[in-house]
Amino acid sequence: MSAAIETRRLTKVYGKKRALDHVDLRVEEGSIFGFLGPNGAGKTTTLRMLTGLARPTKGTVRVLGHDVSSADNAVRAEIGFLPDVPGFYEWMTAEEFLRFAGGLFGIERRVLDQRVGVLLDLAGLTDVTTRIGGYSRGMKQRLGVAQALINAPRLLMLDEPTSALDPMGRKEVLDMLESLRGRTTVFFSTHILGDVERICDTVAILDNGRLVVQAPIDELKARYGAEKVVVEVEDGADELATAIDAAPWSTKVERDGNGTMHVTVADAYAAKRAIPAMVAERGLALSRMEAGEMGLEEVFVQLVGGGQS
Amino acid sequence: MSGFAAFARKEATEIVRTWRVWVLPGMLLFFALSGPLMAKFTPEIIKAVGGEQLAGMMAALPKPTYLDAYGQWTKNLTQIALFAIIIIYGGLVSAERKSGTAILVLTKPVSRVGFVIAKATVHAAFLAVTMVVGTLVTWGGTALVFGTAPGRSLWLASLAWLGLGVLFLGIMTLLSTLLDSQAGAAGIGLGVFALMSIAAMWEPLGKYSPAALGGQSMMLAAGKDAAILWPVVTALVFAVTLVLVAALVFRTKEL
Repeated sequence: MSAAIETRRLTKVYGKKRALDHVDLRVEEGSIFGFLGPNGAGKTTTLRMLTGLARPTKGTVRVLGHDVSSADNAVRAEIGFLPDVPGFYEWMTAEEFLRFAGGLFGIERRVLDQRVGVLLDLAGLTDVTTRIGGYSRGMKQRLGVAQALINAPRLLMLDEPTSALDPMGRKEVLDMLESLRGRTTVFFSTHILGDVERICDTVAILDNGRLVVQAPIDELKARYGAEKVVVEVEDGADELATAIDAAPWSTKVERDGNGTMHVTVADAYAAKRAIPAMVAERGLALSRMEAGEMGLEEVFVQLVGGGQS
Repeated sequence: MSGFAAFARKEATEIVRTWRVWVLPGMLLFFALSGPLMAKFTPEIIKAVGGEQLAGMMAALPKPTYLDAYGQWTKNLTQIALFAIIIIYGGLVSAERKSGTAILVLTKPVSRVGFVIAKATVHAAFLAVTMVVGTLVTWGGTALVFGTAPGRSLWLASLAWLGLGVLFLGIMTLLSTLLDSQAGAAGIGLGVFALMSIAAMWEPLGKYSPAALGGQSMMLAAGKDAAILWPVVTALVFAVTLVLVAALVFRTKEL
C-alpha cells in the first residue's frame, strides 16, 4: 500500500521549544487515521507542516508522493484541509464561500452547482442565507468541513474537526468522515478519544512533540489489552482479590461490585498460570477468565501519563 | 477559472461588499464635489463673516478661477487621500493572515506569489477607477461652477497623483507582508511619506524620482508645466518591484 502521508524525522523548533521531535509518521492511502494527543502535543504544528503552511526545522514531509517543500498547485488540488479555527470572509454567505472555494480549484460550473448543494445540505446550511459573520462556531466548523470537501479530495486533513460541535453535529461529521472510507484518506487530529475509537482504523499518539505510538487501532488495543486479565468467580471474590493484589505480577485490581475483577498485570503469562491455581487452592468456582480489552482511553492515559487530555 | 482569477475576483467583490467601497471613493467624491464650490465661494464666505478688514484683503486677491478648483482637488489628493491609502492598506496582507482566511485560500491551488500579486493588482485597478471617477466629477463640477475647465492640466495632475498612489500601494503591500500590525505598517508608511517629501527637495530626486510627483501634481493643477513621465515611470517600476519583493517575502512566511 502506498503512503498518503509520510514524515521522516520531522522536527520543528520554535526558539528553545521543540514542538516536534523526530516524528516518523506514515498514513496509508485509504485509511481513516486518528492523530491523537493532549493539547499542546504538536498536532496543529504537524498539520501546518503537512499542508506547507510551516516549514520543518529538520526532516522531510511527503504528501501524496510529493515533497511538501516543493509541492505546487497540482498537489494542493488533491488535498482538502480544515484548520482548527477556520477563518472565513465574513461578508460572504455559506454558498458564496463554497463557490469561491470551488473557483480556486477551477471546478467546472455544472459540477460545482451539484457539489455546493450536497455540501450545504451536509453542513446543515441549505436554508441559511445570512452572512458567515453571524454564524455560531459550530456553523463555521460545519462549513469548514464542507469547504474541505469541495474538490472531492484524495487526502482530507482536519485539525480538531469536532471540537466546536454539539453531540448531534459531532455525530454528523463523524458519520460523514466514515462514509468517505475507501474513497478518501482521512487524517484528523483530535483529543476526543471517542471520535477516534468510533471511526478510525489507525491511530498515532503524540505527546510532547514525540510520536509515542502508531498502529492499527485493534492492534493497539490488543497489545495493551494483553496486560489486563478479567476474572470472575461465583463467591470468595474478596479473598481472591486480596491474594491477587499481593502477587508480584499484579499491578492493580479493580472490582466491579460483584464477583468480577479486572486485573492489570506486569507479566500476563505469570498471571494466567497463577490465577487458576489461586482459585483452585481456595476451592472457588471460576465463572470466567479472559484477556481483558483495554479501551483507547486507557491506552492513551497509560501512554501519555494521564496528565492531560 | 484559475485559482488566481478566482481569488482576484473575490478581492474585487470584497471591495464592493464591504466598507472599502465607501471610504476611499466616498472621500474622493466628497473632494470632487466640494472642491469647485469651495474654490468659488470661499472668498465670499470669508468676506461675509470676516468683517471689513478681511473683506478688504480678499478684495485685493484675484478672482478665483478653475485653477483654484484643480488646486483644491490635488491638495486633497496628495495629502488626505494619500494618508488614507497608507492607513487602509496597512493590513492588506496581514489582515488575511491574522483572520485565518489566508490559510483556507493558500491550502488550495493558489500560490503565495499569486495571492499577493492578485491583491495588489485589484487594488491598483480600484485606485485607478476611483481616481478617474473623482477626476471626472471634479472636471464636470469645475465646468459648471466656473464655466470653463480645460482638461489637460487636471488629468495630468491626477495621473501624477495616481503614480504616487500606486507607489504607496506597493509600499503598503510590502509593509503589510512584513508586519502583522496594521497600525505599525501605517506608521512606517507615513514615515516614508515624510522622507519622500524631504527627498523631493534635492533636485535630481525632485525631478526624476517618484518623490517629485506630489509637487508636480500641484504644479500641473496650477496650470504650470511639469515633466511627469519619468517620475510616473519610476513610481510604477518601484511599485511593481515592491509587490514582487512582498510576494517573495510572503512565500517564505509561516502561516
